[in-house]
Amino acid sequence: MALHVPKAPGFAQMLKDGAKHFSGLEEAVFRNIRACKELSQTTRTAYGPNGMNKMVINHLEKLFVTNDAATILRELEVQHPAAKMIVMASHMQEQEVGDGTNFVLVFAGALLELAEELLRMGLSVSEVIEGYEKACKKTLEILSDCVCSSAKNLHDINEAKSLIRTAVMSKQYGNEDFLANLIAEACVSIFPETGNFNVDNVRVCKILGCGVTASSMLHGMVFKKEAEGDISSVKDAKIAVFSCPFDCMVTETKGTVLINNAQELMDFSKGEEDLMEANVKAIKEAGATVVVTGGKVADMALHYANKYKLMVVRLNSKWDLRRLCKTVGAVALPKMTAPTPDEMGHCDDVYLTEVGDTQVVVFKHDKEDGAISTVVIRGSTDNLMDDIERAVDDGVNTFKVLVRDNRLVPGGGATEIELAKQITSYGESCPGLEQYAIKKFAEAFEALPRALAENSGVKGSELISKLYSAHHEGNKNMGFDIESDGPAVKDMLEAGILDPYLVKYWGIKLATNSAITVLRVDQIIMAKAAGGPKAPKQRGHWDKDGWDEEPDNFETHH
Amino acid sequence: MDAADRCEQIISLLTLSSCLPVSPSLLQPTPVILLKEGTDTSQGIPQLISNINACQVISEAVRTTLGPRGMDKLMVDSRGKATISNDGATILKLLDVVHPAAKTLVDIARSQDAEVGDGTTSVTLLAAEFLKQLKPYVEEGLHPQTIIRAFRTATNLAVGKIKEIAVSVKKDDKQEQRELLEKCAATALNSKLIAGQKEFFSKMVVDAVMSLEELMSLKMIGIKKVQGGALEESQLVSGVAFKKTFSYAGFEMQPKRYENPKIALLNVELELKAEKDNAEVRVKSVEACGGSIQTSVGAMTDDVLGQCELFEEVQVGGERYNFFKGCPKAKTCTIILRGGAEQFTEETERSLHDAIMIVRRAIKNDSVVAGGGAIEMELSKYLRDYSRTIPGKQQLLIGAYAKALEIIPRQLCDNAGFDATNILNKLRAKHAQGGMWYGVDINNEDIADNFVACVWEPSIVRINALTAASEAACLILSVDETIKNPRSTVDGPPGGAGRGRGRGRPHAH
Repeated sequence: MALHVPKAPGFAQMLKDGAKHFSGLEEAVFRNIRACKELSQTTRTAYGPNGMNKMVINHLEKLFVTNDAATILRELEVQHPAAKMIVMASHMQEQEVGDGTNFVLVFAGALLELAEELLRMGLSVSEVIEGYEKACKKTLEILSDCVCSSAKNLHDINEAKSLIRTAVMSKQYGNEDFLANLIAEACVSIFPETGNFNVDNVRVCKILGCGVTASSMLHGMVFKKEAEGDISSVKDAKIAVFSCPFDCMVTETKGTVLINNAQELMDFSKGEEDLMEANVKAIKEAGATVVVTGGKVADMALHYANKYKLMVVRLNSKWDLRRLCKTVGAVALPKMTAPTPDEMGHCDDVYLTEVGDTQVVVFKHDKEDGAISTVVIRGSTDNLMDDIERAVDDGVNTFKVLVRDNRLVPGGGATEIELAKQITSYGESCPGLEQYAIKKFAEAFEALPRALAENSGVKGSELISKLYSAHHEGNKNMGFDIESDGPAVKDMLEAGILDPYLVKYWGIKLATNSAITVLRVDQIIMAKAAGGPKAPKQRGHWDKDGWDEEPDNFETHH
Repeated sequence: MDAADRCEQIISLLTLSSCLPVSPSLLQPTPVILLKEGTDTSQGIPQLISNINACQVISEAVRTTLGPRGMDKLMVDSRGKATISNDGATILKLLDVVHPAAKTLVDIARSQDAEVGDGTTSVTLLAAEFLKQLKPYVEEGLHPQTIIRAFRTATNLAVGKIKEIAVSVKKDDKQEQRELLEKCAATALNSKLIAGQKEFFSKMVVDAVMSLEELMSLKMIGIKKVQGGALEESQLVSGVAFKKTFSYAGFEMQPKRYENPKIALLNVELELKAEKDNAEVRVKSVEACGGSIQTSVGAMTDDVLGQCELFEEVQVGGERYNFFKGCPKAKTCTIILRGGAEQFTEETERSLHDAIMIVRRAIKNDSVVAGGGAIEMELSKYLRDYSRTIPGKQQLLIGAYAKALEIIPRQLCDNAGFDATNILNKLRAKHAQGGMWYGVDINNEDIADNFVACVWEPSIVRINALTAASEAACLILSVDETIKNPRSTVDGPPGGAGRGRGRGRPHAH
């Protein structure tokens, strides 16, 4: 009798029921590549000034209209594990330099697409990876040779404006000059001589109504709040900031007071009132004219504040409070005590005003030495304003990147073509099989000017051949002229279309890394998603920590 | 398009599902699942066209409300509450549109409402008409970015032109300013339900706004509605009026009328504290009489006590009302509206709100243009002339913009039942001859110089409408793909939706 050998369970049987398992070139690698390709195709049409917007409706039914790749991806909730990797690369780019997210996606997509061709040709995955790695290293070396100019004086508004313009252009084509001007003013005014620039110090306040061109910029801060008391405008204000509610203090230890008769009750409440009055009076006598509080304002306290002609502003966000402290140079007091002169902030003008139909409190500095500046964005729809906010973000980030490294490379596809040209010749000098991969890496760079051209309705191949011929003549700053009707080229340095060096540097690096990571995967094992109700995602507003939020209702009337 | 068709289209826009066209080939091009299950995507030119169509359907819904001969809409919401209105923003708000592109139109109506308060129907119509004029160009394959650029240029030109030709009225001449304000208010009220009483109300509105202080906070104008009586019995109180809420025993004995009383405004129960003798009314929202709100009865000094000339209690309709009149430091006023049905008084309130907003804007920006389609015709002529001076695609597009502007006078005629083509021809001819303020004359089915006829609007209304409409049109044009995530299942608390406040969510107040 033959010995019964039980059949060894296959890989799939070893896993829990419902788990999915893919392996090998056909099942895993190509599938991954296809997913990434599809993703990059979605964002490719959003690349560049002529890129189209996408309407994304997220799971909360909030509508986004944008061509900012980072936003699209965040709201899309990409599920495919491989595609997620290039999403992560683009997130990293966002964190590292704040701009060029779409560059990462398009480039990584192109790399993978070309890798598929190589794999089908018969190259092994490791050869492709090796070639890509080599090429990437070489590219980053060459990139520094592409630098065509550098920012000289970032304290000069005009220069800052011309540098920010390119970044804004890809988001808000047509409004770039106007917005770049606002952003440059905002950035320069808070850029200290010490050279330490914090992106967070440029605030954005969006108010519905009017048009984009009514947007403005001011030194200081703007809050969508109303003043609590009667006083609505103070010039040359001394500001006392309290992080606690503007109310009588509650004792730490609990106690009970026994009140025997009416007289005692009256004395008790009178004592409370007197204490409050003394408190407010002390604040007033310390010289303060404006009180900003992080918590509720008690009626009683407000009454005395009105009596002593103090303007009271209530801010709900801790961050806002901290930023305000920074702007006016105040120290937030945790208890309602009279502030010392050092603890009080100063602001030239604090006033309540109406923009559109929104009441805003403005803390304004006359001079340009404020620690915080605010860009007030106007627009006819919320979506539009959100998109402009993203453009402002990109612009501010570009400024920050330039503070770190002031080198610039030509934009409009010029750098990419120059790199492609040089990497191709480098590839030809390599003896091994990686030569193919290096050449494909060079080819991948063409995807960017191609996307620019195709989004503008110009034939990509025609443009690329023109660019190559221009670059072979030694004009390494020649890029795509987006203003023209056909595939024309022009000198990007003269046109002032320049990208920061670091954006390109990180973009290439992150895109290559993510592409390689995707290629390295040869097996996918997906466990069955656990059933049961999912825990609700805790996605609070990044700017809110604690404290109650205002309900989002809109009232058209009253 | 016949009415039934239109209804169907509107309904399909309003229902949640099936609002995005999905061509079957795009559903799953590859077996790779990239996005969450249930995600809906659609892209390309067909998507753009479908967005444009959706916007047109929305504008169809408000189209007929434009102008003095516009009709009202009756809407019943999910709770069975009926609203009658011809205010574009109100209608669109109540429609509860879910289509993402069509929502943009609702947004601009809101924006117009926020910025100037009136002209919400025109802004929606203009945006939809811009898109309609552009549709053929998009279908022909013109790149949307080219169109957007042309539109931005055209808008800048148009706004510049408005600023150039607007007539400004000197602020120092009080008499002249008042006349201007009354005319603006009358024009705004012209298209409303209470057009018959426009003189009466425009005076009232101007009085109300004039009594406010510099900041002109809208909150300082109270509007109370009392059912019954005729519209003309509505009145303006310079001071505060409110329904009698509460009184103590023995109140009947008190006199119903005080002259020059001093008023203590209390925020607390009078009972608990020491019994102080005063007007024996508990007042909650009062900043009118110049007194501060008192939380304590402890320190009662003269400067915290308010004053007014007259306090009286009067029967208004079925209610007893308390009036504080003639306050010396008064920066506030109250309008008491009388009228029949509840919906009627509500619509009157909305109309007055619009008129008040217009007057406020007119005070801030003292330049006016002629209404009744006159300014649109003039801009249309100006842009058409301009377009002939430039070569290329821009010429056609700016021409399309110019043509789209004619929708306002055309719709005014259509709503009034006039022959729009005929009147527009007359208008075009007149404007070509230099009669720049000629617009539709509703009363005589003809054209007339609307500046002489005192159909005036603050120029800011038109500037904002044009900017908003073209921004919306550009926004819709710039979208080539819609990706819709499935709505997350609400496992958490029902208020979960409010929690995921993304960056850039408006903080509406």
